[in-house]
Amino acid sequence: MSEAGAGALQATSRRRRLAIDSPVVLKAIAGVLLLALWEGVVRAWAPAYVARPTGIARVFAAVITDPQFVAAAGATLGAVALGLTISLVAGTAVGFAMGRIAPVEWSLRYYVNSLFATPMVAILPLLALWFGYNGDTRLAVVVFASFFSIAINAADGARSVPAEFLEVARAFRARPLGMLFEVIVPASLPYLIAGLRLGAGRALVGAVVAEYFVSIPGLGYYILYNSRTFRHDEAFVGVLVLVTTGVGFEAITRWLTRRFLPWHRRT
Amino acid sequence: MRAATETKSERISASAEAQPRIRISRAGMRYDAAQVFRDIDLDIGNREVVAIIGPSGCGKTTLLRCIDGLLPLTSGELRLEGEPVRGPREGVAMVFQHFGLFPWKTVAQNVAYGLKLAGRGADAIAAKVAECIELVGLAGFEHYYPWQISGGMQQRCGLARALAVEPRVLLMDEPFGAVDAQTREILQFELLKIWEMRPTTMVFVTHSIEEAVLMGDRIVVLKGRPSTVHEVVEVDLPRPRERRTLTLPRFAQLREHVWSTLMAEALRAEYEVRK
Ligand SMILES: Nc1ncnc2c1ncn2[C@@H]1O[C@H](COP(=O)(O)OP(=O)(O)OP(=O)(O)O)[C@@H](O)[C@H]1O
Ligand SMILES: [Mg+2]
Repeated sequence: MSEAGAGALQATSRRRRLAIDSPVVLKAIAGVLLLALWEGVVRAWAPAYVARPTGIARVFAAVITDPQFVAAAGATLGAVALGLTISLVAGTAVGFAMGRIAPVEWSLRYYVNSLFATPMVAILPLLALWFGYNGDTRLAVVVFASFFSIAINAADGARSVPAEFLEVARAFRARPLGMLFEVIVPASLPYLIAGLRLGAGRALVGAVVAEYFVSIPGLGYYILYNSRTFRHDEAFVGVLVLVTTGVGFEAITRWLTRRFLPWHRRT
Repeated sequence: MRAATETKSERISASAEAQPRIRISRAGMRYDAAQVFRDIDLDIGNREVVAIIGPSGCGKTTLLRCIDGLLPLTSGELRLEGEPVRGPREGVAMVFQHFGLFPWKTVAQNVAYGLKLAGRGADAIAAKVAECIELVGLAGFEHYYPWQISGGMQQRCGLARALAVEPRVLLMDEPFGAVDAQTREILQFELLKIWEMRPTTMVFVTHSIEEAVLMGDRIVVLKGRPSTVHEVVEVDLPRPRERRTLTLPRFAQLREHVWSTLMAEALRAEYEVRK
């Protein structure tokens, strides 16, 4: 293709980006259409209590400033944050031990994999009996839900640290702790972030399901209670907060990746 | 600080005048399955450059690892400055064929790595890092990451990292094996210049006959399976070695000599039938 031809093509594609089929515009149009469809369907056929966009918009401000709702959201998200922190620290420690120390790997691999595959919902009744019908169960479920994905990823990361890095560290006489924090941790960071991302999603689901089951104040319970009392618009605000949290986690992991792992894609 | 290190290294070289910097005696090494080399005897003097050449897989990297203390010999003995080598030692630095730069560290942070591990203070590290980066021609690239710079520049960084710890022994494992031919030539002459400025004992592993002749005071040819020292070629070319050195008739003679020694082996290996 001639240079002039390529230039012309580029110019058209730049012009088209502002046009009606640019990604941003399409996204907005699709969103509006989906909301309109939802509103229309609910108005035409559903009972009055079913959540619809205009209803949600009407109650949104009141719900979001309601102290009870704020406390509920704080309880749930606080438990998720605490549980994730516990899982991150303990899961990384266990995962690194598995990834770098063969006997630890041989002893634990099978069980960690099995527990990772165990549906967290299935053992919820057991956890509730052990930890009581209170916030402890929610925390336990969050930890259980996120620990194993973090540990498995940390193990994979620690195992796949390139031997050449370890050799360089040894040649420069790194001590074991230096080896851990200056080589193994940074080299497995991509895996740690992947594990955290997976674990965060599971933790959020775990917290909500735990609240459904043990009926303790929180976002999940708020949603359940308002659904049962036919206040679906209010319930849906709770859902929106959960969605925002999930999307927020995604944004954080993407930011972490951009900030700390610019080297990862290129090596 | 500076004076202290100077007198220390002088003391070491004075007392070591009688003994070689590195003494390898009847060294043998086997991995589980295979004997890699055996019966290697080699003394390497202070400020001597020994080039090691041999076919692929003959154990050059393994030998270098043993000298660095990364791997124990399975037989024989290896002494550095009179003391048996039992692990990586202060005063020895290695430049790797694969560069071995940490991708999450910038050029400056990579160069500082050995100094940090040696427990130097922040100011001393900053000064030394700046000096070494300047020395290898990386000034201006301190804050780049390895993936942002060319292979040649990455190896300059690897060299700076090794030089930063002021090694008395530099172990070079095919340092320019992974860069293109032009860059390789540039780096060879720059390394020679740096060596003239601060001569150290250097063990230089290479696949390139020209490079071996250009760099070495002696060339050790490894051959056989398991490999042994087949021949030690004295390189009586004058120093400083420069581009001009390549045009000396003696250079061509030595190159031909090493070539015929190596190629006879390579040809035989090429036509060898596995049993
Ligand atoms: N960790 C290891 N375990 C078992 N065998 C090994 C190991 N490392 C190397 N070897 C074998 O030992 C022999 C020597 O390897 P080495 O890397 O020292 O050769 P080399 O001379 O450096 O080769 P090249 O020129 O290709 O770099 C090879 O046959 C190799 O397969
Ligand atoms: Mg090698």
